Amino acid sequence: MDFIYKIPTHMDFEGQARAEKLSRVIITLFGFVGLVWGYIIQQFSQTVYILGAGFVLAALLTIPPWPLYRKKPLNWQKAKGETETVSSGDSAKKTKKKN
Amino acid sequence: MHSILQRGNAILAYTLSVLACLTFVCFASTVLLNYRTHADLNTVKVVVYVVLWDKIILRGENAVLDFKNMNTKYYFWDDGNGLKGNNNITLTLSWNIIPNAGLLPNIFAHGSHSFQFPVDYTTSRM
Repeated sequence: MDFIYKIPTHMDFEGQARAEKLSRVIITLFGFVGLVWGYIIQQFSQTVYILGAGFVLAALLTIPPWPLYRKKPLNWQKAKGETETVSSGDSAKKTKKKN
Repeated sequence: MHSILQRGNAILAYTLSVLACLTFVCFASTVLLNYRTHADLNTVKVVVYVVLWDKIILRGENAVLDFKNMNTKYYFWDDGNGLKGNNNITLTLSWNIIPNAGLLPNIFAHGSHSFQFPVDYTTSRM
């Protein structure tokens, strides 16, 4: 079951911006097209359905963390943490013992 | 926007905003429509409207109405006075169009029919 935890589920910083921008463009576009079509055939329900289709499409494209949104990862510095100091302490002890 | 729920929330909220905007545009489009309206106002006499018959026609249903020898759906109820001996009973046809969002226009058809009510009640059907 370990492979489940290895599936990457994050978006990087730029990916989040792209996802939000893409979702807004899709929903706005579908809303506008739906309004025009609904006005032509004089049925507002069609406008709502087309907007709903845009919502579903935007949800499919931007909610799951697709690899597309993981292209520019932030390179964090390596952790300096305790491991280094502990290891140096150990080496100091070892040197003492050797002496 | 980092987690799935945050993105879903953002998309849903934005969709609802767009839906509100579209609903307002739909409303505005019905305001701009110029139905032929016919104001039937009389500043001297009081005009009372009574609905005698109505019919609901849904979208797509046959809107060509051809009726003969019908009875009224709602009767001329005489609630004390006003009907007996009234010499100006005018029948008109009007209709509403109910939009999903927008104004409710009341449109009067061309033509009308006027008649008088007798002074006395009849005891048998005429």
